[in-house]
Amino acid sequence: MRIDIHPILQFDREREISFLYNGNKIKAFEGETIASALHAAGIKVLSHSIKLNRPRGFFCGIGKCSSCLMRVNGVPNVRTCITPVEDGMVVESDVQQLPSAEFPGSNKEDISVDILVVGAGPAGISAAIEAGKRGVSVLLVDENPMLGGQLIKQTHKFFGSRKERAGTRGIKIAEELEEQVRELEKNGKVKILPGTSVFGYYGGGSSHMLGAANKMSNVMYHINAKKVIFACGAQENMLSFPGNDLPGVYGAGGVQTLMNVYGIKPGKRVLMIGAGNVGLIVSYQLLQAGVEVDRVVEAMPRIGGYSVHAAKLRRNGVPIYTSHSVKEVYGKDRVEGAIVAKLDENWNFVEGSEEDVKCDTVCLAVGLTPSARLLFQAGVKRDYIPEAGGYVAIHNMEMETSVKGIYVAGDSSGIEEASTAMLEGKIAGLSASISLTGRDSSTTAKMEEYIKTLEEMRRGPFGSKAREAKRKILEEASNEGI
Amino acid sequence: MIEKADVVIVGGGVNGCALAYELSLKGIKAVVVERKHLASGATGRCGAGIRQQWSSRENAALAIESVRIFERLEEELGSSIGLRQGGYLIAIHDEKDMEQAEKNVEMQRSLGLDVSILEADEINDIVPILDIEGMKAIGATFCPTDGHADPFKTTYAYANAAMRNGAEIYRFTEVQDIVTDGEEIKAVRTNRGTIKTGVVVNAAGAWSKKIAEMAGIELPNVPYKKEIIVTERMTRIFDAMVISFRDGIYFSQQDEGQILGGIPPPETVTGYKTEPTLSFLEHMSSTLTRYAPVLKHINVLRQWTGFYDVTPDALPILGEVKGLKGFIQCNGFSGHGFMLSPMVAKLLAQLIAGEKTSLPIGRLNLERFEKMDFEKEKSVVG
Ligand SMILES: Cc1cc2nc3c(=O)[nH]c(=O)nc-3n(C[C@H](O)[C@H](O)[C@H](O)COP(=O)(O)OP(=O)(O)OC[C@H]3O[C@@H](n4cnc5c(N)ncnc54)[C@H](O)[C@@H]3O)c2cc1C
Ligand SMILES: Cc1cc2nc3c(=O)[nH]c(=O)nc-3n(C[C@H](O)[C@H](O)[C@H](O)COP(=O)(O)OP(=O)(O)OC[C@H]3O[C@@H](n4cnc5c(N)ncnc54)[C@H](O)[C@@H]3O)c2cc1C
Ligand code: FES
Repeated sequence: MRIDIHPILQFDREREISFLYNGNKIKAFEGETIASALHAAGIKVLSHSIKLNRPRGFFCGIGKCSSCLMRVNGVPNVRTCITPVEDGMVVESDVQQLPSAEFPGSNKEDISVDILVVGAGPAGISAAIEAGKRGVSVLLVDENPMLGGQLIKQTHKFFGSRKERAGTRGIKIAEELEEQVRELEKNGKVKILPGTSVFGYYGGGSSHMLGAANKMSNVMYHINAKKVIFACGAQENMLSFPGNDLPGVYGAGGVQTLMNVYGIKPGKRVLMIGAGNVGLIVSYQLLQAGVEVDRVVEAMPRIGGYSVHAAKLRRNGVPIYTSHSVKEVYGKDRVEGAIVAKLDENWNFVEGSEEDVKCDTVCLAVGLTPSARLLFQAGVKRDYIPEAGGYVAIHNMEMETSVKGIYVAGDSSGIEEASTAMLEGKIAGLSASISLTGRDSSTTAKMEEYIKTLEEMRRGPFGSKAREAKRKILEEASNEGI
Repeated sequence: MIEKADVVIVGGGVNGCALAYELSLKGIKAVVVERKHLASGATGRCGAGIRQQWSSRENAALAIESVRIFERLEEELGSSIGLRQGGYLIAIHDEKDMEQAEKNVEMQRSLGLDVSILEADEINDIVPILDIEGMKAIGATFCPTDGHADPFKTTYAYANAAMRNGAEIYRFTEVQDIVTDGEEIKAVRTNRGTIKTGVVVNAAGAWSKKIAEMAGIELPNVPYKKEIIVTERMTRIFDAMVISFRDGIYFSQQDEGQILGGIPPPETVTGYKTEPTLSFLEHMSSTLTRYAPVLKHINVLRQWTGFYDVTPDALPILGEVKGLKGFIQCNGFSGHGFMLSPMVAKLLAQLIAGEKTSLPIGRLNLERFEKMDFEKEKSVVG
């Protein structure tokens, strides 16, 4: 199920390797993760749930849902979707047994920096670049082995403002951002730790203490930072329906990762749930990868995403059903089909409207929730803002939260777009630097410019939700004196 | 809000809810007032271990009687409490420990407890993953009827049974003052109204000192911040809770396979601070993997804090305060109030009903501290 020909992407599969899965030899290519290589070999059941022993497969593809836990080289509970496959690896689907591997020993490292940036998506990298240029020391940490966050899988041309690179593909923007930050790394301005999770906030005051760990190299970091910018992105939402845990039900981000990062098809025929931009774009990307899309269903009475994306799908013969949702997904050990049905005005299924959709893949594109738990642990003031996607940190115009020296940027501060995430990153990077080096006329002008551009970007009709979310957040910030 | 009640219980932890249930059996209407949700205090954050192996006769007797109740509680309350009796294995590190262990075991046996002293090489028969050298054990004591129950299920089982019998439970309601005439309790003032009553039970856990102050009574209790972790799941390997009084560590494996445990944080913190620390996480992980090196590859999933409500002798304060009629203490559990709750509730219900208590609790009154008439419990962990 590897994609060989793709209209946009090229997959360099240089070195073929092999590994053992439950005793059987499986072919893989260097650079793939364990879960993606298994997928390519048609193995979709990765683990079983503990109490009811239900089969579980790849869902998020970014290490957040733990449905891909397997035993690797004698170590249980390894997240195989973010662990690179290696030649001769021994992979077993039995997660539960005790570890048999030798423990290689662990190291501890203390790091002190001016500014710590957690998350290297568009927001985090932009923040690191902005601050790195200003002579303060910056540490950029991301738990994924690759930099770029969500951008590394976005093959479509970006919408939004021309000034902020609309018309450029996400992957291209990611490359540019990475180049710039790597340049600063070379000059010793920014230190980058990929593959490292920041796992806890351990106290503030004049500086902030955080714990981080790299599981591959067994290093534990004590990070002491004068300022912290959280740019942790967002997590995909789940829907509740019978069969939602069957292998073959994926988050849209997981599907994108498989297809666009690793060149692997999730299945042959897809039912897409959700007609926001993400659902529409991923449907189109599936078609590009040679996968059939049966239909897109959307619970709302109208399509949420841009009409250009919807039109592209229709041109390719993919129907979009509004006021429809998934009632049930069925199959033995993997998705074999789904029942979709019409919704009435009270969001109840209309009896008799059920339709049986034959598919091997169900893709959920039903929104995101900001990843803000570290911020909450740090004790920032938070509130539930539906337009922002859930609980978010209350922050001011310059992206500072109610805890002094703690900033937020990007999807983590409310679900929006990569273009606004980059600007928020710049603002957070600038304001954290200013708080260390002092404000002058040029930084003041820069700040005004960024804030103005950001406001312009939100001005269009599609910025209305974000505009409302940010209006509420800023209003609360000003009431709280933040 | 109700205007009058026989008894007002401050605090909806396991003790407050269990007492409301026991009172309801006697036809006494109790109102529980809880500031947050049920089990939001120490109860919902605890290790929930149930141990009968104590050094003081009072604790041992309370725990033994409580285990008898725990064993039939599911049936009595009509819902699961997640009880598992896998025993407690207590490490003995040197001759001095051994001497104390022998004394404890003798006293515990005199109370009818099935408890024995193991040789070092018998430890792995009970918990196979322990490294006897790493934990520096020369032996252990073991009681097979010790165990663990689910603190949420237990609290809710008590609360629901109490409500079925007519008790009322107010959540998200804060007690702000206690009205007395200097001799007797008159009423309890909350942020949602005042309840007239002649009896107030102070079961507010680590906040009991503050509740007592409202009635003009000073308690010697001190809140200590305690930390605890849980790891990811794996195969069930052992049933016992492993503890050491010297290292202060305790850990057990939950039904779903996670390891749950704690140890005194390297820096002792008193007062109402809730932040978890990195130094605890490291101290706990390194001690745990010294005891069970095979756990080195296992990830910690969560870390959180809770309070021990600690008294000078590490024994609870139970009963009516001298000089203030109707003011009943049910606090100062010093880190082991979950396991004692079934019997404590029974005894206090008897006391409130004016009956003779089935175990003597006179020695656990508040006045013992004033008279300096107490002996410290030695068998404390966490
Ligand atoms: C299908 C799809 C299409 C899209 N199309 C567009 C478009 O056309 N135009 C547009 O502007 N936007 C688009 N977006 C939105 C855009 O991708 C996101 O808004 C943007 O990526 C958010 O950037 P971010 O930096 O806030 O977060 P992310 O890109 O999500 O990055 C967050 C990073 O933080 C890391 N991280 C999180 N927690 C930790 C931790 N504790 N320790 C270490 N690292 C951590 C994560 O690993 C991740 O790499 C699209 C999104 C999707 C899914
Ligand atoms: C980390 C840790 C591990 C532990 N391990 C064990 C163990 O293994 N075994 C064991 O037996 N014990 C253990 N304990 C101790 C045990 O948790 C407590 O002794 C027990 O839960 C006390 O229950 P409680 O109902 O008395 O108090 P709590 O559960 O603390 O309940 C008191 C309640 O009072 C409420 N309250 C406070 N002030 C007010 C107010 N003004 N108005 C209204 N409500 C108020 C609080 O919100 C709280 O819910 C542990 C404790 C901790 C912290
Ligand atoms: S954690 Fe691997 S698929 Fe979600």
